[in-house]
Parts: sequence; structure tokens; C-alpha cells
Amino acid sequence: MTAPLAGIRVVDLTMVWAGPFGTRLLGDYGAEVIKVEGPGQWDLLRGLGGIPRTVDRWYNRAAYFNHNNRNKYSAAIDLRQEAGRDLLLQLLAKSDVLVENYRANVMDNLGLSFEEVRAVNPRIVYVSMPGHGKTGPEAHYVTYGTNVEQLAGLVSVSGYEGGEPLKTGFSYGDPTAGLAVPAAVALGLRQRNRTGEGVHIDLAQRENLTGFVGEYLVDYSMNRELRAPAGNTHPHNAPHGVYPSGGEDRWLTIACENDEQFAGLCRAMQQEELAADERFATMAARKANERDLDTIIGEWTARWGHYEAMHILQRHGVPAGAVLTIPEVMSDPQLRTRGAWSEQVHPDAGTWEVETPPWNLTRTPGHARIPAPGFAEHNGYVFRDLLGLDEETIARLYADGVTADEPNVQSHT
Amino acid sequence: MPLPLEGIRVLEVGTFVSAPYCGRLFAGYGAEVIKVEPPGGDIARAHGPFKDAVPDPETSALFLYLNTSKRSVELDLGSQAGRDAFLRLAADADVIIENYRPSDARALGLDYERLRALNPRLVLVSITAYGQEGPYAEYRSNNLIAFAMGGQMFLTGDPDKPPVKNGGYQADYQGGLNAFSAANLALLAAERDGEGQHVDISVQHCMAPILEAGVPFYSYNGLWLGQRRGNLMSSFMGVYPCLDGQVGVHVMARNWPPFAEATGHPEWLEDERFATAESRREHDDVLMAEVIAWAAGVTKKEAYALGGEFRAPITFIHTMEDLLESPQLEARGFLRRIEHPVAGEAAYPGPPWWMGPDAWRDGPAPLLGADTEAVLSEAGLSRAEIAAVAGAPA
Repeated sequence: MTAPLAGIRVVDLTMVWAGPFGTRLLGDYGAEVIKVEGPGQWDLLRGLGGIPRTVDRWYNRAAYFNHNNRNKYSAAIDLRQEAGRDLLLQLLAKSDVLVENYRANVMDNLGLSFEEVRAVNPRIVYVSMPGHGKTGPEAHYVTYGTNVEQLAGLVSVSGYEGGEPLKTGFSYGDPTAGLAVPAAVALGLRQRNRTGEGVHIDLAQRENLTGFVGEYLVDYSMNRELRAPAGNTHPHNAPHGVYPSGGEDRWLTIACENDEQFAGLCRAMQQEELAADERFATMAARKANERDLDTIIGEWTARWGHYEAMHILQRHGVPAGAVLTIPEVMSDPQLRTRGAWSEQVHPDAGTWEVETPPWNLTRTPGHARIPAPGFAEHNGYVFRDLLGLDEETIARLYADGVTADEPNVQSHT
Repeated sequence: MPLPLEGIRVLEVGTFVSAPYCGRLFAGYGAEVIKVEPPGGDIARAHGPFKDAVPDPETSALFLYLNTSKRSVELDLGSQAGRDAFLRLAADADVIIENYRPSDARALGLDYERLRALNPRLVLVSITAYGQEGPYAEYRSNNLIAFAMGGQMFLTGDPDKPPVKNGGYQADYQGGLNAFSAANLALLAAERDGEGQHVDISVQHCMAPILEAGVPFYSYNGLWLGQRRGNLMSSFMGVYPCLDGQVGVHVMARNWPPFAEATGHPEWLEDERFATAESRREHDDVLMAEVIAWAAGVTKKEAYALGGEFRAPITFIHTMEDLLESPQLEARGFLRRIEHPVAGEAAYPGPPWWMGPDAWRDGPAPLLGADTEAVLSEAGLSRAEIAAVAGAPA
């Protein structure tokens, strides 16, 4: 019953979202993850929590940071100092996995390239996850989550019907890169276990996300025709869209895939004659008369709450779902039943609800074991217990600013 | 060097996008993936877009892309002979990937307890909209519905318009990649102790927690914006029309000086209204007008080159044509030319992550049922048994 990643130690140099989310998933499923931040190069999400800087240890209370970093330990090491680099290499010599999401040349400039790390640990699984990858003419370009989706081709095919390309609702390139990390690490560990040798994995965030629109690329390559954004419509099926519900800015999706489901929709709306109406009798006819049909459906949906209409339609076998807001996903009965949220107690931040590990591995379930670490909270564990440093050496690291118990608050304003 | 997943045997009993995308990744990284298709084939074959817009089950771009490097077995799991043949394959599989509603999956013989009795080290990966249990577990869903119930749709679109989905099948792809990660963790555990398990993927549970800071800000800080923000999230994060397309900007506080330099506006750095991240937010309208005016005067490739030169996070909206012509993707060898016997040659995305030159393979999608006889024969079925399976050549 041991967790899939039990006994695997991960050194996590990632910051912000994509990387920390990925390494948190490793922690959720059993890895020991040690997050390394510099005293002056700390994860900037610590500063984006809306917590006034007059509050004690405000940098341990940022909710977004704490969501992305539970199930991790924290150690502070300044990698720009030679002594800090040495310390990290000592830690890497006792670890299985390194994950970093710096711009392509940063690790090389720090003297922490794959070759340099492999020299101290030939079995290291070294995961880089820069926006553009480690190589190529654009490797040094700065890119964040919303840029990634633009580079991946996704934005060019997103948007309202007849409208301009449209960005997603958030930095979509980040979580989609993060959730690839457990698979990349698992493949790397499998290869290492078989060959006895480490491996360098280069996860270019834009390439990973291009995989989510691959059919458009194959299509363009075959047909040399660019597809315009299609909104909520489907190439063949109707009805397929979003309809107004009761309440301010509340909506319901309906997406029928066949005649049977459409007949169910007509029964649910108590307009059974529509199923026989020649404008709507076949899928092709419904697609041709989609706008008329959408108007009729919208008049019905507007009379109900989105959840109510969803339940009514599902009882008639119709694919329908409410467009849930953030407060609604936090209280959604299905997610509640699944245990998607659980209370977490953090020594500085207090008690609130966080997401649970997303995948139900029934025999080896994930757990939210420990809350996100305070800055440098586990310096003692890492320096004394793991690396076996004596007190004098540790004192010198503090004196030289190689480590610290508190972040330099001037470095991110 | 063997492929990373060489020696792993996967049965994919999946349709359309989510399970096939998971299967595509298994196949690309070296697993043997046997795609079990119903008579007539995976519905993605009927979906298109087709080569030259002529419907043909072998030229649907969606199918071609999602099923590279797999073998195809046409099998009617609605028949006893089909289910029996499937169980013979399952006895020797490491992983089964499926994406049916729980009750539909059980009707097809995809019952975990039964499969486990047959093959204790099997990892059964079920990708569903809501998971295996709970009040909506049997509710009907597809990409649009999942996008709505996962909370991503409400955030997407313009403030004065209805919510809109992202291009293609983003909920389904998320399901597929989540499943691939989860499946490989379960495989690690199975290779260690010889025991498989049922991996239960709820696309809703995968999607709802990743709304950027939305959930933590709501659950901890009690803040909820409650509004879509379209292409203009703010003056320093958005998509702006340019001379020949659109440029994208994502400026964090530390990128402000290079951004001002890259756009040819060093005077912004002297402007008190723009001195700090906070003051830039206060004067968001003024700055946005400036950024819009700047974008309107540049071409997309000029803007991107300036971003690179000054290390400012400026990109442009890449169309599929831009991807095919991308010097970056070209230099990295990301795009793969694959020859398909019916559809001909086309460019396909390569691996989602690079693990070395021999870690990914690029075989074409299989013709419908092309491997039925070979696969069933390898599984030990007699000629008569193979002939009895509906859809197989007699």
C-alpha cells in the first residue's frame, strides 16, 4: 500500500505556478519534495497573497503559494554563491529528481547544468520545464502562462464564432505543464531503474500545450486552410451551446449528440412537437437551423436555475451542465461527494479549504499530508539530518548569507 | 536505448479524445497500444476535419492525430464472442484505458473486480466526467459540458457576452494528460509490488482546482472577481491587435523596464503614474491605451523579435501556419512528418517532453481493424474463434 513515489526525494527549484503545481503532485503521491528558495530569490507568489506586509510572517500566509506548495519541505539556499551551489550539489547527490523551470540558460549559468549535476549523481532524473525548451533560437525568450497558449496555437482557434482569437480565462499553459510532471518523472525513474543512468527531460511548455490542439495542426498540414474560432458550436452537432439561466450571468450548456438525446430535450421542455418539426428532425437540419433552435431552447432555460435545468435535462438523458462559478465549484455536490476539497491547518495562515489530490489511485491514494512550508522551515532537517553538517558549518552558512531563516523582503516589491 | 515505456502493453477501449490522447502518449513513448474499436470504428473517424473535406474514416485529422503508433482491433464488446476475446487480451495487459460512463463501462465488461481476478497487476484507468461515484456519476457529458462543470468556462470570454469554450477539446485533453500522469504513477507502484489498481479520473476534479488563484483567493481571502475579462485582463496582461495579427503581453513587475524598452517607450519608466506595480494598476486605463496604440503599429513578428531582444514577455498569436514555419519548433525537431497509407503525409506534434533522440516514435494511426487478426492470433485465439468475433475478417 505504499505510495507510488514513496522513497523518492525531489529537489524543487521551481517558482510560481507550473513547476510548483507539478512538484506538489509528486508530493501528493508520496515523494519527499524539498523546495529550495534563495534568501533573496524566493517564490514571488509568497508576495501575492494580499496580506499586508505589516502582518507577522506575511510571506507564509499567501493562499495561492500555500495551495501550490503543500506536501513540501522548505530550505533556503543562495545558489548564486559558490557555497550555496556546493550545498545544493550535496543535496542532489542524495536525491532522485531535480525539477527546475528557469529560463533556458539560468541553470547553466549557475553551474548546475545536467552534466554538472550528473557528475555528483549519475542517477539523477533532471527535469527542466522552460517555456520554449532548453534549445533553439527562441530558448532565451521570456514567457509566462498566457504567452504559452499563444505560442501553442490554442489562442488562434479559440474565441466567439466570427470573432477575434481569444485568450483562455487564465494562464492555461501553467497547469497543463504542471500536470505533465508526474508522468515525465515516472518515465524518467523507470528509465533510470532499468539502465542505472540518469536522464535529462526537457519539457517545453509550448510544445506540451501544442499537443492539445494537434488535430488542427494535422488538418492545416493536409488542407492548408486555417480554421476560424467557432465559439461554442460543434462542426456537426446541434444544439451545442450555452443558454441563459435564471439569475445574473448564469448559464447552462447543452450538447446533444444524437436524435434520441434531442427527443429527450424536447420532452423535458414539454415541446415534443419540435422533434418532428422538419427544421429540427435530423442532426443536419438542426445544424442548419441552429439559431432558431437556440432561441427556442434559451426561452425555456431562462425559466430555471442552471442546476435545476441540468437535473431536469439529465433525467431525460440529455447532456447538460451548469456553467459553474468559483463559489459554485467549491460547493458543488459532486465535488463535495468526491472529497475534492478538504480543510487544511497551517501554523501561520490558519484553517481553510484546499483541493485534495486530483486522481483517485484507489490502492495507493494521494494525501494532503502537510501544509505548505514556511520559508526555510526545514533548514535544520536538510542541513543537519540529510547532509550531516556540523553546527559550526551551519552557523557559517547563516553568517555568509548562504542561508537564512527569513526572506530578504526587499527583493520582490 | 529502449523506449521509456517499452515492454508495457496497453489496451485502449476509448473513444473520441480523452482516452485516445492518453493512449497516444503511451504509444509514442514506446508502449504497445492496442486500440479496441467498436464495429465501424472510433467516432473520431467520422468526425473530421477530413483531408480535402471528403469524409473517409481513414482521413479524419482528429483520429489521425490521436491514434499515432497504435494497433487497431475491431471488436464488438456488445457480443459474447467480442467480450471473451477482450478478456483474453486483458489477461496479458499492463494497462487498460477507458472513458465510458461507469454503467456503460460495466456493460462492456470493464468491471474492475472481474478484471482484477483475471489479472491482479492490471492498472485500469477510467476517465469520466465526474468520477466513478457520486450524485452525477451517471450524468451524460462531453467536452462542452465538462468545460462548464469544471469551472473553466465561466472565466472564459468577454464580460458583456456569454461564456465561451476554448478551441478544440480542452476538457478532454486535460482528462487525457491527467490520466497519463496518474496511470504512470500506478504503473510504478505495480512494477514494485506486482499489484495493479483502479485509477479513477474525474475530469471535473482535475479542472476545478486549477483556476489560477481563483480557488485560494475565494476560499482563503474571501475574494471573487465574478467576471470574465476577455482579451484585456489588464494593461500588462492580454492580447492586442497588431498590424497583421495579434500580440500577447504578460508583464510581471520585474519585466516592466524591459517591456518599456522593447516597446520603444523608455519615458514610461520616468512617468510617476507607472512607477510601481500598484500605480500601474491605478492607471490601468491610461497604460492600456498606450499598449494598444503600440501594438497597432507593429507586425507580429517584429513584436516577438523585440520581446526576445529585450527579454520582455511579448509573443504573438501563432496560427497553425506559424507553427509549421516556426524556427524554434524547426530547430528542436518538434514537428514530425508522418506518412499515412490513405491520408498521405502530414505534420504532427512530437513528444510533449524530450527525453533523448530515441525516446519517442512516430508511427501512423492504424487503419480500422488492421491488426485484428494478428493481435487475436498472438493472444492465442484459434482461427475459428477469430472468425466468430464480429467485425473481424472471416
